[in-house]
Amino acid sequence: MKGFAFGQYYPANSVLHRMDPRAKVICAVAYIVASFLCKNTFSFVLLFVSAFALILISRIPLKVVLRSVRALIFIMAFTAVLNIFWIVDTAEGAVPLVEFWIIKIYTKGLYHAAFILVRILAMVIGTGLFLTYTTTPIALTDALESLLRPLAKIKVPVHAFAMMMTIALRFIPTIMEETEKIMSAQKARGADFTTGSLAKRAKALIPIIIPLFASAFRRADELATAMECRCYHGGEGRTKLRILRYHARDFLGMLWIILFIAAIVTLNILGARFGWLYTM
Amino acid sequence: MENKPFIHVQNLSYAYVGEDDRPIPVLKDLSLDIREGEYVVILGHNGSGKSTFAKLLNLVIDDYTYAEGTILVDGVDVMSPDLTDEEVLDLRKNVGMVFQNPDNQLVATVVEEDVAFGPENLGIPQPELRQRVDQALATVGMSAYAHHEPHRLSGGQKQRVAIAGIIAMKPRCMIFDESTAMLDPVGRREVLETIEKLNREEGITVISITHYMDEAARADRVIVLSDGKLLLDGTPGEVFTHSDTLRKAGLDLPQCTAVAQYLITKDLPVHGEINTPEQCAEAILNAWKKM
Amino acid sequence: MTPFINVRKITIIKKTKTPRPNPSAVGTENGAAPAVPIMNQTENPKIRLENINYYYGKGTPFEVKALDAVSLDIHGGKLTGIIGHTGSGKSTLVQLLNGLARAGEGRVLLDGVDIWADPKEIGRVRYRVGLVMQYPEYQLFEETVYADIAYGPRNMGLPEEEIQARVHEAAAFAGVDAALMEKSPFDLSGGQKRRVAIAGIMAMRPEVLVLDEPAAGLDPQGRHTIFQGIRDYNRKTGCTVLIVSHSMEDMAQYCDDVVVMAHSRVLMAGDRDHIFARADELETVGLDIPQITKLCLLLREGGMPMPAGLYTVEAAEDSLMKLFSEAKKNRRGGERS
Repeated sequence: MKGFAFGQYYPANSVLHRMDPRAKVICAVAYIVASFLCKNTFSFVLLFVSAFALILISRIPLKVVLRSVRALIFIMAFTAVLNIFWIVDTAEGAVPLVEFWIIKIYTKGLYHAAFILVRILAMVIGTGLFLTYTTTPIALTDALESLLRPLAKIKVPVHAFAMMMTIALRFIPTIMEETEKIMSAQKARGADFTTGSLAKRAKALIPIIIPLFASAFRRADELATAMECRCYHGGEGRTKLRILRYHARDFLGMLWIILFIAAIVTLNILGARFGWLYTM
Repeated sequence: MENKPFIHVQNLSYAYVGEDDRPIPVLKDLSLDIREGEYVVILGHNGSGKSTFAKLLNLVIDDYTYAEGTILVDGVDVMSPDLTDEEVLDLRKNVGMVFQNPDNQLVATVVEEDVAFGPENLGIPQPELRQRVDQALATVGMSAYAHHEPHRLSGGQKQRVAIAGIIAMKPRCMIFDESTAMLDPVGRREVLETIEKLNREEGITVISITHYMDEAARADRVIVLSDGKLLLDGTPGEVFTHSDTLRKAGLDLPQCTAVAQYLITKDLPVHGEINTPEQCAEAILNAWKKM
Repeated sequence: MTPFINVRKITIIKKTKTPRPNPSAVGTENGAAPAVPIMNQTENPKIRLENINYYYGKGTPFEVKALDAVSLDIHGGKLTGIIGHTGSGKSTLVQLLNGLARAGEGRVLLDGVDIWADPKEIGRVRYRVGLVMQYPEYQLFEETVYADIAYGPRNMGLPEEEIQARVHEAAAFAGVDAALMEKSPFDLSGGQKRRVAIAGIMAMRPEVLVLDEPAAGLDPQGRHTIFQGIRDYNRKTGCTVLIVSHSMEDMAQYCDDVVVMAHSRVLMAGDRDHIFARADELETVGLDIPQITKLCLLLREGGMPMPAGLYTVEAAEDSLMKLFSEAKKNRRGGERS
């Protein structure tokens, strides 16, 4: 459990880090939309290039970013393989590249697989760079609360959700530490979590889980009392220490994303018009 | 100083609801007054009812089935069932409370945002909010940690942040419910010095609940509770002369006070307030020089 | 178990000039740390720590040296107190003793045998060196007090009668009332829970019992009950006991030996009298000294011939009375002549 860091926030000094979290949430959503708008080879190449441009802008080492991609390698490989074997080119005169038993692989299938790979890669890198890597979890919570505030009008408890998020973020390290402590304490009493059948190991977790729950409830109770003592009475009439403010860079960031989407749409249209390479 | 006490407690009794709705008495017929600006320590063994008393003062008790008597805080009857929400908030703003476990009272993931939590709830607008937070952190000497994460601080530091969170609400009175019990000696010293500073420099009324006798020695006034009853009430010097009563209440005298008391019983000329090793040494040396 | 209480070898405490504010200044370069003299050395120690270095986050920018060239003997059968600030390394030290943590460099010898000689057998070491962690009441989980105390012995695979005998013996030592046995541990008071947790370790009948801040947060009566119980346990079973505590008064009252940790090192270790005689040095590293020791120090500074090494109220009262009555006698004698 050592070295556990909640979220993947990577401290650095870049424009992306300094952007308003709300602008980043908007950009992240727009970027995902953009990745879905891509239709042909040119727009996908642009998407691919943009993902690496973002990494450069964020000043986060490529290695760190690729680590999060690694976790998705299985899904990516699976989708790619599926596309390669599944796609049947129904166009006139389409000849399979490979034909073996019932398997037919078309060039179109290969292109599709590559497109999907780029799309997943771009989505993972894009959301990662706009959100988790450059934004602290708490700033993200603030941003979501602020962006979702209109929903409060239709009785969605936006403030309560944000408060819950904040408290969860505050207590995750505390509970992790406590888990470690309780595990040590039970190990000192001869508990064994690593050997034996699955059932035996599951049973061995009881001495961890019960004290952990008992302690979590006690903490929740004490925290609730402490919050009441500090005049907490829901989100009504609350002011905030940190007021989110848009700066020029935020509008610029959003402008870039709009231009980016426009570029992709243009490439799509041009591609369809002139029949450039492959289109999805 | 006004004549009207800030906190007036009259014939207060309280019991928890036990099995089969039977009352489990915690406080029995308690009457006392606390004046604005006082530094009062409430001493008692575990289960003497001292924490319940503190919670009653701050209206964070759920069940008033077996509550009797009066508590007036700044003239407002806090036991009255028809307190308005505003009155409750006002009371909690005026009487701040710091608890035992520093981990379980910090809400935010950044120190300064935690300090802001109280004033935010009170709806304090900017820029006053910012000023209050900065000032509160400066008062407890934690300005350098404004952007730190609370879980990386030491126990004493966490507790000082918790105190700052209360000061930022500008209370008139602060209650410390065993706020030093989980700290190491360094943390305890930090917190005690902060408490004293709040009382002496900011004029905040302090009610500190503890079972550490050396903390009691530093207060203006000591109240000893035992099994929910008021046992002793006076200056530390006065209270500490009742060594037998204290021992029966499960409390120990500070060691130096015990030595001095012993010498006094042997008719040696040891005089004065004796709560610390320094005071004790001075008194004994004075007696020694007279030999 | 062999009682070592009689092996009252006077320990030679190496006089350290001043506390080292910068432990890294002491040569541990070139990887292999130089052999350091063993503090509190004895023949056949129950536990010997040999040149231990322990790091947190080794190789990361956050590397912290928690223990720096620690060599120390713990005498069998004695009650040893470990004192020091938070972060002085004492909690790490405690976790090394039963193999919850493993030092990168150095060895931990239990009865002369490296506890990590066979890493698969570390579970056995945990039965031999019982550890009561800080705030142990939070580890209780069973439905009844009895079952909770029996958890350790049951893990050891003992027969039921043996478990029963051990649970009752441990409960008696720890001060757990027999009437509580069938209650849920969650319904007990804080002090009772603490005693149940301590009994849970005692029931494993470890050869060495290690307690990290056993009385933290308890009121004076609770403290006395716990310390008295531990002391009785040590005297009656001959079990070697180590207590980590901040409270100098308690250490002075209950321990035979004292180990003082500062800046990841053992600052001094030895017989309680020898350690508290060096109260001034303790103060220079910012440790509290027992109130009585402080008082005696002040009295000596003020010119009273108080003996050194006093740390209990009774001892101070006796010597003060002696001094005053002698002074009275002298004065009367002086008046007469």
